[in-house]
Amino acid sequence: MIKAKRGMIWMVAVVLALMPVLLEAQQVEFTGVAKSVVAVGERFQLQYKINAEGTGFKGPNIVDFNVLNGPSASTSSSVQIIGGNVTREVSYTFTYILAAVKEGTFTIPPATISHGGKQYTSNPITVKVQSGGQNASSGQGSQQQGSTEAVDVFLRAEVSDTSPYLGEQIIISYKLYFNNQIAGHDGFQKISSFPGFWVKNLFPNQREIPTKTETIKGKQYNVAEVRRFALFPQRAGKIEISPAETELTVRLRTDAKRKTSDPFFDSFFNDPFFSSRSQDVTRNLLSNSVTVDVKPLPTKDKPADFSGAVGKFSLRSQIDRTEVKTNEPISIKLTVQGTGNIELFDLPKLLFPPDFEVFDPETTSDIKVTPSGISGTRVFEYLVIPRNPGTFKIRSIEFSYFDLSQNVYVSERTPEYDITVERGDGSSSVVTYSGTVRQEGIQIIGSDIRHIKLPPYNFQPLGTYFFRSQSYYLILLIPVFLVILILIIWRKQMKKRGNAELMKNLRATKVARKRLKLAHKFMKAGKESDFYVEISRSSWGYLSDKLNIPVAELSMDNIRTRLMAKGTNDETINQFIETLNQTEFARFAPGSKTDNMEKIYSGALEIITKLEKELK
Amino acid sequence: MKHLLILVLLFASFNTKADENLLLMEQANKYYDDGELIPAIETYNTILNNGFESAPLYFNLGNAYFKVNNLPMAILNYERAKKIAPYDPDILNNLELANSRIVDKIEPLPEFFVFEWWRMIVNMRSLDQWAWISVSSFLSFLLFTLIFLLSRKIWLRKFGFWFGIVLLVVFSTSFTLANQQYKWFRQQADAIVFTPTVTVKSSPRDNSTDIFVIHEGIKVKITNQLGEWFEVRIADGSKGWIKEEDFRRI
Repeated sequence: MIKAKRGMIWMVAVVLALMPVLLEAQQVEFTGVAKSVVAVGERFQLQYKINAEGTGFKGPNIVDFNVLNGPSASTSSSVQIIGGNVTREVSYTFTYILAAVKEGTFTIPPATISHGGKQYTSNPITVKVQSGGQNASSGQGSQQQGSTEAVDVFLRAEVSDTSPYLGEQIIISYKLYFNNQIAGHDGFQKISSFPGFWVKNLFPNQREIPTKTETIKGKQYNVAEVRRFALFPQRAGKIEISPAETELTVRLRTDAKRKTSDPFFDSFFNDPFFSSRSQDVTRNLLSNSVTVDVKPLPTKDKPADFSGAVGKFSLRSQIDRTEVKTNEPISIKLTVQGTGNIELFDLPKLLFPPDFEVFDPETTSDIKVTPSGISGTRVFEYLVIPRNPGTFKIRSIEFSYFDLSQNVYVSERTPEYDITVERGDGSSSVVTYSGTVRQEGIQIIGSDIRHIKLPPYNFQPLGTYFFRSQSYYLILLIPVFLVILILIIWRKQMKKRGNAELMKNLRATKVARKRLKLAHKFMKAGKESDFYVEISRSSWGYLSDKLNIPVAELSMDNIRTRLMAKGTNDETINQFIETLNQTEFARFAPGSKTDNMEKIYSGALEIITKLEKELK
Repeated sequence: MKHLLILVLLFASFNTKADENLLLMEQANKYYDDGELIPAIETYNTILNNGFESAPLYFNLGNAYFKVNNLPMAILNYERAKKIAPYDPDILNNLELANSRIVDKIEPLPEFFVFEWWRMIVNMRSLDQWAWISVSSFLSFLLFTLIFLLSRKIWLRKFGFWFGIVLLVVFSTSFTLANQQYKWFRQQADAIVFTPTVTVKSSPRDNSTDIFVIHEGIKVKITNQLGEWFEVRIADGSKGWIKEEDFRRI
């Protein structure tokens, strides 16, 4: 018993071990599958399957269909053990979702994949794409026999000009061509975002979509323009607009002749009233893609300050006044009007003189959106305030645009304006900032000028100065004369004084004798003190006059010196001094006077006479 | 006797002239205080037209022009007042205020320091003050000369001698300084711009290059002349040519 179990286990182990070898024996297949007949716009699946572990899947290059999704990979594996046979299934699947875009029969090329070092190629796939599809019957109710209407709708994108200039307006319209009854749609929202263009929706309010009829390839269709845009290319070169997509539900009429065994139902179903049955079919429609080849604007004659405006425009300039006072505003309006890319360019800026304060211009736009495109008016309003008086010029500016009707650049100029600014009232104290002319710094507004000056006033004739005027020189020179005068007078005085002394000298003896005489009288009269005074006076006075020394300044010493200087001999000097001493002695000493008086009198007389002789 | 009479008459006539000016001045002041600025200006100007000037006259006239916002005329008159009385604080204050309101802000260029010192020294006193200093120093000099020559005492003579020398130096210095100021006044090299906006040119021709722009009220120094064109220099050192009609001398 145990042995059998062991044997079983062994077998399983061997099988498991050998499984890869077993599996090797299997055939590797790589196939592609898709629907063989589809309608235009219809989505369908394209699938590649390999029944082994595949690596390096390379999908086919699909050109005739729109690849909506893919490739997406999935794997599955399963193991089956049936009656001793072990089968393991592995499959790798690669799925695409394609949409048919045009009628015809197309071949999808094969795909490749590698497994175990070998490369496997799938089969090519042929798909037939039909216009409306005779594949109407969805297979429901096999009782239905009869013809059902065909789906006959397509979506088309049309462009007004496939080779516009840079900035030139083109119109793209999406038209739905249909011969079926439209039961519903998605609003036609899935439109390209038009990269590379500036877009303006020309059908902003979509209510009534007008329907027309058009004949294409001999077939008549109803046409409804569902979207329309104005496009302004923003770059040169080829720009591709990808297809628009829409989900449309059409109601197909079916003339169904039902054959039932029941005659009662037959008549019921064949009633004309009920005879038209309808079937709603939903289709995904794709439009065509459009390639626009944008031409760059010509460089020949292109103005240096070209604004980028393309179309046809006119420029107008208005100024509200040209004569103002300082700090009064002036408004200048520049108006551009026309058709084209009016919203996409700016006017060149007006230049103002340095004394003007300029505010950023205000822009107002009035854009008209019509089915034929964009047109309108844009106004640039400048507000400027002149801060200083004077005459100024606002120079003209040039606006250029590319005229599509003539394919040339056209320039328009604003006029030059002459502005006269008068000084305004009392506004110079306003502190504002503008350019480099006005002063910086805070002005002291609170202070005022000092008051006028009051009398007294000193009025002078105009343009005269005291300095170097007549009176100035007079004041200087007159004193000079005075001084000279003074000096002259002084000299004279000195001279006179000298004379006086001379005179005194000469009269000295006379004076002395006169005095002595008087003394003698006193002597006779016995008036002692008077006598002695007089004698003293005469002697001293004589000396004073002679020597030209005031009496008070005489002393024994300077008498002696002076007399010696004058050439008097010593004996005389001594004698005189002796006489002087005696006189003084007698004057102040007691004793008999009468004798002395006589003696002194004669002594004085004698000596004076002697001196007189010697002092000649 | 005749001479005395003439002197008396002259003196009297001079006095009446002075009275007339005083009356006009007081009338103008009254106008100013009443806010009638234009009559005030006219009356002040009458005194000038009569041929008389004084620092207060220019000052009051400047005030009147200031109040009617005629800045260049205000500055012109303040500068004329300042010429006569350079240290009057009212004049300086109002002139500074008026200058702060002109359009151009100039960074004055510093002068070569020696020139600046010289200018400062010369202008330390007004012309009249220097004149009086020179006169008094000269008269004192004469006095001391006399003392030197005539006095007996030795110390007096010495005193007179040295003081005399000193005063002689004072006299010659003050005379020199006064003379310099006098010459500057006579040159009338300073002016005020009157045209609201003037473009200063690089050479005395209408079509020469525009160098810079100045506005009314700014003070300029006239450095050269060619016909109706004058070369001027402004405080920051910039130089150029403007026309005679654009300015008025101080």
